[in-house]
Amino acid sequence: MVATSSDERPPLPPQPGRRGLWLGILAYRWAAYAWMVLLAIGAAEEFREPAVAWLVLGATGLWTLWLSVTPGWDRPLTRWLDLGVCVSLLLVSGIVMREGYTVGDHPFFATAYPVCAALTWGAARGVGPGLAAGFALSVALTLSRPINGVSPADATVDQIEGLGNGIVYYIAAGGAMGLIARTLGRASEDLRRSQEEVLRERERVARLSEHATMGRQIHDSVLQALAWVNKRGRELGAETSVPGPEVLRLADMAAQQERALRALIQHEPEEPPKERASLRDALDADARAVGEVPVTVTALGPIWLPEHEIDELTAAVRQALENVVQHAAATHAVVFAEEGEQGLVVSVRDDGVGFVYEEDGLRSRGKFGLLESMKGRIEDLGGRMTVRSEPGSGTEVEFLIPEPGLGPGPAGDGGPP
Amino acid sequence: MNDERPDGVTRDEPLLVEPIRVMVVDDHPVWRDGIRNDLESSGVATVVAEASDGGEAIERARGSMPEVILMDLQLPTVPGVEAIRAIVEESPHVKVVVLSASGEEPDVLEAVKVGATGYLLKGSTADEIVNAVRRVRDGEPVFTPSLAGMVLSEFRRVAAPDPGVPGLTPRENEVLKLVAKGYTYGEIAGKLFISVKTVQNHVQNILTKLQLRKRYELMRYAIQRGLDQAPE
Repeated sequence: MVATSSDERPPLPPQPGRRGLWLGILAYRWAAYAWMVLLAIGAAEEFREPAVAWLVLGATGLWTLWLSVTPGWDRPLTRWLDLGVCVSLLLVSGIVMREGYTVGDHPFFATAYPVCAALTWGAARGVGPGLAAGFALSVALTLSRPINGVSPADATVDQIEGLGNGIVYYIAAGGAMGLIARTLGRASEDLRRSQEEVLRERERVARLSEHATMGRQIHDSVLQALAWVNKRGRELGAETSVPGPEVLRLADMAAQQERALRALIQHEPEEPPKERASLRDALDADARAVGEVPVTVTALGPIWLPEHEIDELTAAVRQALENVVQHAAATHAVVFAEEGEQGLVVSVRDDGVGFVYEEDGLRSRGKFGLLESMKGRIEDLGGRMTVRSEPGSGTEVEFLIPEPGLGPGPAGDGGPP
Repeated sequence: MNDERPDGVTRDEPLLVEPIRVMVVDDHPVWRDGIRNDLESSGVATVVAEASDGGEAIERARGSMPEVILMDLQLPTVPGVEAIRAIVEESPHVKVVVLSASGEEPDVLEAVKVGATGYLLKGSTADEIVNAVRRVRDGEPVFTPSLAGMVLSEFRRVAAPDPGVPGLTPRENEVLKLVAKGYTYGEIAGKLFISVKTVQNHVQNILTKLQLRKRYELMRYAIQRGLDQAPE
């Protein structure tokens, strides 16, 4: 079935506005149909072809009923069929009525309903298509006269005037409905835009307030740590011998708060694009969580990624840092991130003891588990992991994601349309 | 390089190798005392002056003629960056190492652009501080990984302002990236099959280019404002 055809321009108003117009036209359609049935009953004696007349009325009723229930009301095919039905109605009325009846004093039984096609086209596609549908109906109306046995050559001024009224009625209805639809479309587009703006502003405020809350929490924990260092420092100073481990604990406490406060200051200053987050902020949080070895995060420029990619990457980085803490005996580790020509590079480098990296050997000795898990995460993002290490000269684990933001992941998350 | 000493160094020191003359600039007395203690107990350096704000730092640098200045950036009266600019302009041979608590990028980068040749976080150990003082005195820029990252970002962010002010060569870019990843100059030398001295030269050239860009930027700004016309 034709859901969207290639010749369709983008529809005018968004769905809710168009739906309202459609329902209005539907109500008019039923009223016009009822009027048509009443007229037909009144003019039953004038039918040339009563069977065809009632058949056409019945078919129009069924068509109207179908239009009232179909979910495909907005499809182009529905509109084309509707135009076909309305044009046929005008043409067929020329056949079923007594000769010359269509130009008589009696109301013509098919005049009110066909305008629905012009209204529908105007509502769905705007001024041009509305006028065009009205024009198609006018042609059918004009042709219905000779079909009804009325010769154009014998037409009186009144008859020409009547025809002219009909033509103006159809064309004007289509055009006017098109204008209404366009105005409505613009209004709802404006509304949608301002709603989006409000939403964006709300998100921004929420982010700022989240940052402020984080700031308050960190300030509080810094104050607590300072108060404790102050209190215990004095107490320890008054003692004759100073317990080394406790002093070290105080120093660790201060170091942890120092890192937290610094990270707060170095928070990515720019706003992330929609549905993205800062890789650097996430890496900073990972680095802060490592207490045993000082970790520096170096990220070149802001790097924005979909959140699921950040989650996977930071999970891999955390595992790499865990390895550093457990096995490297390092004095320092650096997490480096860069978005370059070959893609996104994130590396974890330590100055520890290093090792011989050989996958099969490590696997056979049961020592590949953590590395395997890191590797799996990165490969799931369409990337690859490289380990550079030698005994005595530290280790560098590098993750390369050639197309960040495009890798497989939850649908609609930064992927191509 | 060790024999390179500015004039005015006292020659009557009893030590065989004369300690490096250092000035410490910090508005927190606790930090000044702590750093003095770190430096002097190592025997490598002696603190010839202290200053608690930017204005005082400029004054004392003139009088005490230090070889190396350890400087905080958050200072009262004259901000750290301005003080560095003034001191380096007056005495280009003085090496300035930034000692920052916050590590706020724009400030640190600005300090390096106006002439600082080293950067350390205040959390650094006594050894790291002493080592940095020795290295900058010997003409070696002290780049932490995070400073290397800042400089790389800066070169990527702002295209070269003029063909006459070159960007980084591929080799310099490679060296800087390795520093940002946490490799020492020695490790970089091993990785790239070059000497440590060559690595140091690359880093020095990178710094020079950064400072050149800054000067060019200021000059162009001045020209745009019509301030370049010297009075007749």
